[in-house]
Amino acid sequence: MKGLTLLLALIFSTQLLARDTYFCRPELLNDIPAQQNGRVKPLYVHTTETIKYLSGSTKYEELDATTTYCLLTLKSASLPIDIKLKAKIEHVDVMKFLDLKDGEHYVDFDNLIDHRQDVRVEFMKQKEDSSYKKSLGTLMSQIAVYQNIISGQDWNLPELNGSEIAWVPFNIFMSENKFKAAQETSSDPFTQIFMQTKAMAEKNVHTKYKFEYQFTKLHLHSWALVLTLLALAFLVVFKKFNLALVATALTMITQLVLISGRVYISGRAPITNMYETVMFSGFGALLLAMIIGHFKKEKTYLFMGLAYNMCTLMMMNFATGMLSSSISPLVPVLRDNFWLSTHVTTIIMSYGALALSWILANTVLFRRQFGGGLTSLDERYYSDLIYTTLKWGTIMLATGIILGGVWADYSWGRFWGWDPKETWSLIVLCLYMAILHGKYTSWIPTKRFVQLVAAAFMSVMMAWFGVNYILASGLHSYGFSQGGALFLGSFFAIQILFLIITANAKNNGPTDGGDSSDPKLVKNS
Amino acid sequence: MTQKWAQHYQKAEDFLGSLKFAVIIILCFTSFMVAGTFVESYYGTEFAGRLIYKTWPFMTIQGLMFLSILFAAFRRLPPKKRLYGFYTIHSGLIIIGIGSIATYIAGIDGSIFLPPNTPNREITLSDDIFRMQMPDSGRVIIKKLPNSAFASVLDVSHEDLKLLDYYPYADKEFRWADSEETYPPEQSVHSGRYLIANPNVTQDFTLSLHPEAQEFESSLTMGLLTVHYLPESLAPCFAKSPASKVVLWDSRNNSCFTPEDRKASVQTSKTGNRFFVIKDGPRLLSFFPEVSPWPLDDKFQTVQNSPIRAFGQKLFEERPNLFLFGKSTSYFDKNDQKWVSQNLEEGKPIDLPWMGFELTLLEHQTQKVPTYVPVPVLPIQKNGQLIHGTDRALLVQIQNKKYWVTNNRPIALMIDGKRAQLYVTKETLTLPFEFVLTKFKMDKDPGTNNPASYESFVRLFSDKGPTDYHVYMNNPLKYDGFTFYQASYSQDNNGNYSSTLSANVDPGRAIKYFGSLMLIFGAIWHYQLNFSKKTQKKKTELIGESA
Repeated sequence: MKGLTLLLALIFSTQLLARDTYFCRPELLNDIPAQQNGRVKPLYVHTTETIKYLSGSTKYEELDATTTYCLLTLKSASLPIDIKLKAKIEHVDVMKFLDLKDGEHYVDFDNLIDHRQDVRVEFMKQKEDSSYKKSLGTLMSQIAVYQNIISGQDWNLPELNGSEIAWVPFNIFMSENKFKAAQETSSDPFTQIFMQTKAMAEKNVHTKYKFEYQFTKLHLHSWALVLTLLALAFLVVFKKFNLALVATALTMITQLVLISGRVYISGRAPITNMYETVMFSGFGALLLAMIIGHFKKEKTYLFMGLAYNMCTLMMMNFATGMLSSSISPLVPVLRDNFWLSTHVTTIIMSYGALALSWILANTVLFRRQFGGGLTSLDERYYSDLIYTTLKWGTIMLATGIILGGVWADYSWGRFWGWDPKETWSLIVLCLYMAILHGKYTSWIPTKRFVQLVAAAFMSVMMAWFGVNYILASGLHSYGFSQGGALFLGSFFAIQILFLIITANAKNNGPTDGGDSSDPKLVKNS
Repeated sequence: MTQKWAQHYQKAEDFLGSLKFAVIIILCFTSFMVAGTFVESYYGTEFAGRLIYKTWPFMTIQGLMFLSILFAAFRRLPPKKRLYGFYTIHSGLIIIGIGSIATYIAGIDGSIFLPPNTPNREITLSDDIFRMQMPDSGRVIIKKLPNSAFASVLDVSHEDLKLLDYYPYADKEFRWADSEETYPPEQSVHSGRYLIANPNVTQDFTLSLHPEAQEFESSLTMGLLTVHYLPESLAPCFAKSPASKVVLWDSRNNSCFTPEDRKASVQTSKTGNRFFVIKDGPRLLSFFPEVSPWPLDDKFQTVQNSPIRAFGQKLFEERPNLFLFGKSTSYFDKNDQKWVSQNLEEGKPIDLPWMGFELTLLEHQTQKVPTYVPVPVLPIQKNGQLIHGTDRALLVQIQNKKYWVTNNRPIALMIDGKRAQLYVTKETLTLPFEFVLTKFKMDKDPGTNNPASYESFVRLFSDKGPTDYHVYMNNPLKYDGFTFYQASYSQDNNGNYSSTLSANVDPGRAIKYFGSLMLIFGAIWHYQLNFSKKTQKKKTELIGESA
């Protein structure tokens, strides 16, 4: 490596530009395979995920993630790289610990490396598992990743070793001999080396990295959000139902491609982390809403489906700190496609169906408080629609819970073990069953029914996110990540506030003298 | 009379089968579960089971739910066509309940630990037991311990044995106890608590020479540093910093001296070892201090029980070694190339020459015995493992003497001259066949240390001879009514893997599956998931009319 460093220094000393990017060109490097975190992926995906993890952004000034990552790796060759990647510090106590001034949120990783030991000592000093300790832990991991990059050990490249592929870190891959050999045949030895690697990888690395590169570049989740917003606008603002249907169809096709692409890349059902469950529930709920709406000839279902799909796509596009789109290998216990695609899919679909009821219940509450114009008969009508989605939701939830029990029995030898995830899914089912049973009695009139349905979805959120982000214990907590607790707390606060605001709102009264609490009407749906 | 009973029954049926009762009982059940998940989050899975899920109030609620479901169906008899789905749902739930009861009563849920190439046929179950074994007579006494969440007073007697208190979750608390025996003044029985700290690490430790201090040693290793706890009587000789770098200890009068004190010259043998000779009464003792603490006699035989032992300081100069003599300390300072001795005062730190460490004497006791006494605590869990309350402790009384037995520390006693071993452990079940782990395979995700799969290759020995099986995640082994699942694994210091299989017998399985099917089909039937046209009319569009 030392010999190579000298060679590099000599070559590049003649190319002093404003910011020399050497051979770090995205078009050259993006589609080279890299083995990272237990799987082979295009370098583009690795660099985007890594630079975002380190700095909170996928870009460094005007440079894209791949160029930034490549230049940071070149620091291992002692080249004068003027990139000062900064860690984003958000925890107030970590900011104090690092002596950051008010409003200053960024620290150079090169400085942090010098104080790595201090961060570690501060981390060790914390006895309690506080958010401060977690933030220090994250910072330590970020420093470790950064150090790995600048020492040339993070970037793993393929090399043919006999007939086998060996993955070697950049500092070993870029050997002096390889460089000299390339220099003899080309005036641009680096491009030559990477082109050769690409050609070799295409023949010998039998994975889907090339597809993944093209697939990731499409940014389908952003397109799906645009199309959903368009469909909603056609439906609600411009009142063009047919156009709304066309935009919805396009959204669904886009999301189907997005889901199928992930299935193809990961080789498993698309429901193994929070990002995927959110993605699948939005799509599933929209599909369900389309089917029910079509047969019931009721376009409100389309509104429910689109509105919920918009929420999930917003989360996928903007809550990237909480929901990581990264595809990672699964823990061994989940590696069973049959059970993944039956149990988890059913549960997530049921959450989607229950989310439809939540959307409609809140919309009715909103109209009751702010929009006016709804009679008690209308409310009864919309209660019927809510009731239909609840039927679907509870049946799928019960089925999903039973399938989960069968899977647990098949994998661990017990049908039921009071694990928090399974207990919370049963809590959700019980709460909805209590509401449905209460609807039969005179206990829950239509007015309260709508409020209860809106409130009951908080139990779904608790089962879905809360167990992982708040309880974080038990067999199912594979998806624990930070930031989720804050999101969930905000969701609960807003929902409760909305319920309080709309608690005493009145409708326009019955228009045909009917009693809004007549339970029989519900049975007829 | 019969009519009166019929009226009572009708009232009970109406009450238990009413929708309001159903809603109340569902909400009670839900509240318990919500509490259970939070309790589990803080205090661990087992504690939640002991406090909520496996207690009679929760079982009662489940029983009432069972009755509610049953009577709700009874109330709607004789059968009506429109309620066929409803009957199926409720029958399904009742069948699931019956299956669960069958599992609860007749099911087995345990685990079997398989070290490499070591046969095992014992399944560990979940119930705690006390076991006393008397190997001489072959007697075994087993008493079941309560499945409570908190400390309980037991009233169990068996001949001379009494079980007094049981703590299902306990932490060890340090205490100084009075010595049970008296010891001659020349015997060193002192103990000390010390604190060693630098800005990164703080650790307190207790060392003891007391024969009754069973849980404390006289030496300890902390990373590269080794701490030796020696009799106080050796301190003056270390303080002398003898040129010979040898200190001798006479255990008969608990005193020390140096070769210089006896005017013995230290010489070097042909093989390069230092040696010297001293006179002990009529005997001549030759010491090779860098080879052995024991001397050689006139016939060059090792005197293993010699009251005089040599201590070669040179052996302890290369690596960090700290010598503690109760209220003083000695160590070799590599920077100054000399032995340093310092006195210790309680609470006053002194500097050590390694990584900025400071040493503080916290407490020095000449006669008292350091002990750990179990105290009941609430358990705390972290990442699925308990970090507090890991001990289960039982106070037993045998012949008017009390002993703490914990799951981590069984005790051995002599009762009327016969050996007895006392354990707090888990109930076990002996299988009619035997397992051996022949191979354990763990695949990792490429380029990482994350396990991708773990697989046990086991050989099962039964009456029919040995058979090989391959057990891995989602591929259990079914044999003789038992099902064995890959549960976990561990690795010893030599890199050998041990495997743990969970072992399970569930007589309610088929019943629960049948009930589940009925429940799902009943629900679909009941809600008639057809797409019939809506029967209601609306006046207002919620989201506006289409164009």
